[in-house]
Amino acid sequence: MDAYPDVVERISQKITEKGVTPDRGRIASKLNLLVTEFSIPLEEAERTVTNEMMREYKLDSIPRSSGSEELTPVASAKPGAWVTIEGKVVALQASPSPSIAQKGVIADASGAIEFVVWAKANAPVMEEGQWYRLESAVVDEFRGSPNLKVHSGTTITAIEEERGFIPQMTPLADLAPGVVSVRAKVIQLWEVRHERMLQTGLLGDETGTTKFIIWKSDAAEPLEDGTVYTIYFATAEEFNGRTSLNLSGAEWCKEEGADIEVSRREGTTITGAFVHLGTGSGLIKRCKVEGCNRALSRQNFCPVHEIQQDFRYDLRITGVVDDGTTAHNVLLQLPATERVTGMSLQGAVEMAENNPLGLDDVFIRMQELLMGRYISCSGNDIDGTMLVRDGDNIEIIEFDGARHAGLINRAGTPAGGVQE
Amino acid sequence: MTEQNSSRRYMREPARRVYANELREVRLHFRDGTDEKSPTYVMLPTGIRCNRIFACGEMILKEKKGEENTFYSVRVKDPTGMFFVNAGSYQQEAMQQIARIEQGSFVAVVGKPVVRSMDDGSVFVSVRAESVFPVDRDTYRLWVDDTAEQTLNRIDAFRSTPDSEKAAEFYNTNPEIYRQMVVGALRTIEF
Repeated sequence: MDAYPDVVERISQKITEKGVTPDRGRIASKLNLLVTEFSIPLEEAERTVTNEMMREYKLDSIPRSSGSEELTPVASAKPGAWVTIEGKVVALQASPSPSIAQKGVIADASGAIEFVVWAKANAPVMEEGQWYRLESAVVDEFRGSPNLKVHSGTTITAIEEERGFIPQMTPLADLAPGVVSVRAKVIQLWEVRHERMLQTGLLGDETGTTKFIIWKSDAAEPLEDGTVYTIYFATAEEFNGRTSLNLSGAEWCKEEGADIEVSRREGTTITGAFVHLGTGSGLIKRCKVEGCNRALSRQNFCPVHEIQQDFRYDLRITGVVDDGTTAHNVLLQLPATERVTGMSLQGAVEMAENNPLGLDDVFIRMQELLMGRYISCSGNDIDGTMLVRDGDNIEIIEFDGARHAGLINRAGTPAGGVQE
Repeated sequence: MTEQNSSRRYMREPARRVYANELREVRLHFRDGTDEKSPTYVMLPTGIRCNRIFACGEMILKEKKGEENTFYSVRVKDPTGMFFVNAGSYQQEAMQQIARIEQGSFVAVVGKPVVRSMDDGSVFVSVRAESVFPVDRDTYRLWVDDTAEQTLNRIDAFRSTPDSEKAAEFYNTNPEIYRQMVVGALRTIEF
């Protein structure tokens, strides 16, 4: 009859620990009712039945002080989980809706998460800067970011002692939707095109760059160009596959005199073998008509401006970098092409002009240099092709002894650890 | 994002990393779809469909064969065995590339696996070259590591993907043997 013998066993154990022998049949039937009739997830049903049985036998429900509810570090609170966390309310924002009592950010040493307290939860009001223990809150997802929901089943207890902690810094290359703290340098400021926007631009650190936005509000102040900031509890958001940082609600402090060697790698990075050099690669001629810049055919024909005897040379690569799982189309612009081939535009022009094969000779040389080589390149995806702009975004991979040693270790350990 | 693109436009088939010893065991080949232009695949014993491979090794033999329709037949040696690579008149570029390469060089091959059943019932797996280029020793060592890693990834995912379920059923693969093959291949590389 017992559909979930393990769960029934676990519940009876908890009650037996209290010195009462429970009726296993009743536990099983209650559980069965919740799970099969009401399609309640097994975990939740287990909790409900445990609480009900405890109440029935006049026992304390879940022993809270003994810490049987395991504490979850904020950083590991993933959507779909019921968690108990202890953290500091580091930001409170205006409630966007009457059904929401409070909205803000709660953090511990591992990370930070946005939270929402439902009006229906009748929860005590939390204060900014104060530590709280939140028992049985639910993590779900809001606009791609994890979000902690405080509902009527959540217990909020203020923690009186003041605990210091240093927020975990996230490298820009590892940004994922959610609340993050970063240390970064303002490397570009862009024109603001929205009346509600205060400032937008580019932040960079040793690992990469990311766009940032500050919306207008009473407290908001703009960042200074070229300055390093430590930014606490900003919101990383994802849109069209790109992550940007929303600084509204975040706090930051300026680091006087500090500097960061910013990695100029843009967008995403792929590593793989160069398996195809497209026919549009090599030395090409471009139309010089203002604003055109189209590639000319061999006969100096521009698709728009027809025959152009006046042109300028350019060097580019269209090709495929294959990582074994996906074949990525890449387009390397002049600086990236020069870096990866070691050929300069001028060198290529000389090669083409002094050689019977002309432009083909440059193409063949590029094939020899690149085909089958492992490269790593970074850029943004434009319509299915990665655009690799400059030399900082591309390199030829070299053999890595540490990786090799790691693979020997991995291969020497049977899958799943020790075999039985 | 890649998933969205795949429905909209042509996606080039990735080149799988596979050691010669595993490719040699391939028997199952199939067409995905009924269309004339549907891609054909071979099923690797470690459980992934494969329309194209990328392989590196030493070109230990280069032969020109055929009378009227000449083609190149080359053998490329990796740490586990031999790739049999062909390039005929339909692979003009690969033929010209092979013609320029000296026997004994390290080469990188991009090509399509071909499974042929012989008259005597035996099966022969070869690679129809799309391109063959000389590479340096470092690239060869990188390929051995890359192939080790991707083979281990397949072994770890074995029986947890639809393709590897199929491979398990068809080949009755023992993943442990392929793990040993990877260990052996890695040990041939000095570092």
